Amino acid sequence: MAGRWQWLHRLGSPRWFYATTTRWLPWLAGAMALLLAVGTVWALLYLPPDYQQGDTSRILVVHVAVAGASLSFFPLMAVAGTVTLVWRIKLADMVAKNAAPLGAWFSFLTLATGSIWGSVSWGTWWEWTDSRLVSMLFQFFLLLGVISLRAALDNSATAARACALLSIVGCINVVVIKYSVQWWNTLHQPPSPISMQVGSPNGPEFWVATAIMAVAVYLFLALSLILATRNEILERESKAQWVRELALGAT
Amino acid sequence: MLAELQFDSLQEFLAMGGYAFNVWSVYALFAVFVFANLALPLRRRRLILRRLAARGDLAQSPAAAEQSGWEVSTVGEELQEQQREQKEQREQEEQGTKP
Repeated sequence: MAGRWQWLHRLGSPRWFYATTTRWLPWLAGAMALLLAVGTVWALLYLPPDYQQGDTSRILVVHVAVAGASLSFFPLMAVAGTVTLVWRIKLADMVAKNAAPLGAWFSFLTLATGSIWGSVSWGTWWEWTDSRLVSMLFQFFLLLGVISLRAALDNSATAARACALLSIVGCINVVVIKYSVQWWNTLHQPPSPISMQVGSPNGPEFWVATAIMAVAVYLFLALSLILATRNEILERESKAQWVRELALGAT
Repeated sequence: MLAELQFDSLQEFLAMGGYAFNVWSVYALFAVFVFANLALPLRRRRLILRRLAARGDLAQSPAAAEQSGWEVSTVGEELQEQQREQKEQREQEEQGTKP
């Protein structure tokens, strides 16, 4: 038992995580900035306007990238939660704790950008009968629920376990969001099949821009989550010698 | 062509084919979202480090540091050495004044 899972415990050491991410941060930030710039310039200046949507198709590059990444939060929190429940590795819970508010931001931006796009293309800002819209709103509320649950429980170990369970159950909603457009197709369109033909719906001029933006958004997700987790480590390990030395050296 | 500039003038670019509000509000929201979720953790980090550095008990006893589960660094050892020397000196002084 001890031997087989030792690698996991080593990976779960907050100090190891902190030192490793210190080396990663500049690369992560550099790659994110580059791809974000390329994706944004492409979407705003080079993407041809859609024959139906006009220039509002530029919105979709951001919307699709952010929406896709927003679906990764519950699976991420569920994996971290499982590690918390089974191996009681504190680092996993620190990641899960900081993923919830970031996921709420992602869900909110998905709803806001979709709504702003829909106000033109659908002629409505919101539609309660559309399953995709409602299930995404539900994910936003579920994430607020995870945040409140942790805040409401005084015992941090109990809070971690409760949030882990809710995160695992919350994954069901991710499946619902994903397949909602196929199961109950009302307003939101199903994913467009990618095409190699320039000028066709979802041709390379659109999906390559979206793919670049999607990678940029995932890098941003990783960067923001790592920064927040590092803060959590500094606070939870503030009595450790290496954190003290870091604080003295940094000021 | 995969990448062709779509606008002839700055005015045309800003107008976004009549959808200026929709396109620009989305990109503004996106910019705020990216900026906020990087700037806020960085600001919090500065505050945490400043608070930790300002705390009086930073040069805490090595025994407590050992208890925290992390290996004790040389800074702690030096401190321990110093304290031991001071204690010995004090004891010698006390012995000198007794008889």
